[in-house]
Amino acid sequence: MRIEDIIVEDSPGKRVLLMGNEAIARGAIEAGVGVAASYPGTPASEILETLALAAPKLGFHAEWSTNEKVAFEVAAGAALTGVRALTSMKNAGLNWVMDMFMTLVYGGVRGGFVIAVADDPSAHYSSNEQDTRFAAFYGEIPCLEPADQQEAKDMTRYAFELSEQLELPVMVRSVTRVSHASGDVELGPIAKIKRRPVFDKHWKLPYRWNVYGPPGPVEKHRWLHSRQPMAKKVVEKLPWNRLELRGKPKLGIIASGIGASYAREAVRRLGLNKKVAFLKIGTPTPLPERMVSRLLRAVKTVIVVEEGDPLVELQVRGLARDASPKLRVIGKMSGHLPQVGEINTDIVLRALAKVAGIRPREDRARERARAEVSKLVAPRSSTLCAGCPHLGSYWALKQALRKVGGKVPIINGDIGCYEQGGYGIFAKEVKPKDTAESVRYAIESPYETLDTNYIMGGGIGLLQGEFHAGYTDGAIVAVAGDSTFFHACIPAVINAVYNKAKGVFLVLDNSWTAMTGHQPHPGTGLTATGEPAKQLLIEDIARACGVEFLKVVDPFDLAATTAAIEEALKFGGFAMVIARRVCTLQALRQKKFIGKRMVVDPNKCTGCRLCVSFGCPGVLFKDGKGGIDPLICNGCGMCAQVCPTGAISVGE
Amino acid sequence: MDEVNLIIAGVGGQGSVLASHLVAMAAIEEGLRARVGETFGAAMRGGSVASHVRIGKNVSAPLVPEGGAEIVIALEPLEGLRNAVKYLAKGGLLLTNTRPLAPVDVNIGRAEYPSMQTIEEAVKKLGGKIIAIDATSLAQQAGNVRTVNVVMLGALAGIGKLPISLESLRCAIRENVPKGTEEVNLRAFELGLNAVREK
Repeated sequence: MRIEDIIVEDSPGKRVLLMGNEAIARGAIEAGVGVAASYPGTPASEILETLALAAPKLGFHAEWSTNEKVAFEVAAGAALTGVRALTSMKNAGLNWVMDMFMTLVYGGVRGGFVIAVADDPSAHYSSNEQDTRFAAFYGEIPCLEPADQQEAKDMTRYAFELSEQLELPVMVRSVTRVSHASGDVELGPIAKIKRRPVFDKHWKLPYRWNVYGPPGPVEKHRWLHSRQPMAKKVVEKLPWNRLELRGKPKLGIIASGIGASYAREAVRRLGLNKKVAFLKIGTPTPLPERMVSRLLRAVKTVIVVEEGDPLVELQVRGLARDASPKLRVIGKMSGHLPQVGEINTDIVLRALAKVAGIRPREDRARERARAEVSKLVAPRSSTLCAGCPHLGSYWALKQALRKVGGKVPIINGDIGCYEQGGYGIFAKEVKPKDTAESVRYAIESPYETLDTNYIMGGGIGLLQGEFHAGYTDGAIVAVAGDSTFFHACIPAVINAVYNKAKGVFLVLDNSWTAMTGHQPHPGTGLTATGEPAKQLLIEDIARACGVEFLKVVDPFDLAATTAAIEEALKFGGFAMVIARRVCTLQALRQKKFIGKRMVVDPNKCTGCRLCVSFGCPGVLFKDGKGGIDPLICNGCGMCAQVCPTGAISVGE
Repeated sequence: MDEVNLIIAGVGGQGSVLASHLVAMAAIEEGLRARVGETFGAAMRGGSVASHVRIGKNVSAPLVPEGGAEIVIALEPLEGLRNAVKYLAKGGLLLTNTRPLAPVDVNIGRAEYPSMQTIEEAVKKLGGKIIAIDATSLAQQAGNVRTVNVVMLGALAGIGKLPISLESLRCAIRENVPKGTEEVNLRAFELGLNAVREK
């Protein structure tokens, strides 16, 4: 059975394989969600993708919004009318949302409102490792943290109920190892809720949905505080907070979310099952304080296992002062568990073994063999896809910068597939310097193009600051994608025009939010559920923002793209170049593009490696000559334009 | 059998994740519990991707412990070695495709790609066994080079160590590969299965 069928199947008790994000979506469906909104972001994207598959069949609304803040507000608006709503986002997405997040809680919600956030410890797909559970603590709303895919589903379903009971939003905090892992999940019944939206501006409280309405924000803050005792009481009885305390163990484990899965397995592998007390936490905030205190009074040492920063550990240390002042608390803050990077069963096992005084078995000879073999494993740097239009854009940018001269250009990056333009070459060692002058570094491959990169829309703002600081050692460029443009760049473009910044803004428009798995956006002409939609053109928006230099080019045409960027660099004002071509993967999928494989004539090839420096994974270099891997090549033809001796041509 | 731990390694876009889901779905169909996790060298396509599959009555965490994989299945040899070093159990098996996909690091001359012989020796040094098949050619023979993942799944089934019947695997393939590619994928499965049985 395929996911689009599984997700809407009303057969309680059936066991299926679900990815954590699919499980969260299924939980929302079982709860009768009425509105779901999100912006794509790994590792959270599949939550809304899955809901979008179900929405037309079950008759609810699911959308890709232009950014997380808008998505949050769309879902919140539905919740104010009593309809159940969900918004989902990746860790960084929550940063966009914080303004509304910290204010919505002052009046709460009427319909269940669930904020599903997928964190990414170890930053596999993210710019940072932030632990968003702290936002729930900060905003004084409950946070449910699943240990596996089953809990991800069950907790999401329950979160709507809890939200309505407390009249507050509820966060479900997932991590990569829950969201992007799969497990067997037993399905529950699908609630047949079809709520009629209603509106009452003084529902239970005066001016409920208007923080400024009398008696004003301070009284609303007081109301928010008044919900806390009820929340604390509820969490003591939840099935996901469970204390296993038998006999008189010396060691206790407190493990939250996925940490509980790791700790369970580590306990089993060390054979400690009957020797330790185990408190499994499903609500890191508010903590089931009575349950925690009971454990703290019963043991001599407690080890806190959690993914992210020490939110539970901090609270446990506070509770221990009252409950058991002599207790030894072990965790991230004591240095027994790592303070950066994600944890796993092996890491928890080593910490637990140390605390329990168990010496793990070591095979020194094998460790030596592993160290030796490791040296043979060549690194594999991430690359853009074969025939990716961004390869053309980066090549053209490099040529144009060379033509206009200047010592050290600054190329500000952004978030999307093209961010790989700043991933570097793993096998290449970088030696940092500290000089008083601007330093130029050679760009050997497109993966060394971007000089700055932080967040969605960040580059176009940095460009302006670099200009206003008076930087003249080279050109100033910003690069962003199409979805990023709609998400975060428009106010910055207006600012550049208004405040007279100069520089080149290159928009790499491939028509899709490609990196997160090809979701549509306002420039695609489709909605999340595949309905046709009005297609917004970036150049129309740029023109309306007052941008005077504007060119649209095809990045497969390297000469034309180079010329357009060169002209923009010479323009002397704020210039925009839009390099537009649909993502090659999507074009292939939709059979809109079938290129013939390229071939290299070894007699014409001089082995200059220029084709290799173009950075396409389909281009090989072997025995002193360039080559094309026929299994990878998509036939875009760009490498033939790069070759100075005409050695590359279209094959059979 | 308490649990079986496998890793299916490859390069982004080769389909290691789908192959691992097929194993897990077949396991659930047979009443077992399953977990699938993944590790990756970098963000998306073109980078290293390894899918971890855990099957058993009591599995909870999604990643295979270090040195805990009974079998590492590699859609690409370098990725096989990368994962064998970290995850292959002593006495475990690296089941690998022989067709390399060179990393950009090798192409620009900054790193060296180990030969098949070097990989074989390295696996033996790790105390493991190796079976290598030309899965890319078998996939082409099946009718689509993109079925390398299913050829390797067939090869895995041919080893005979999975607690899952061939019929459950075939059923998972039929129901979950892209529509219209069922036949070519089932052919790929049989070719992989026979290639290992002949060894």
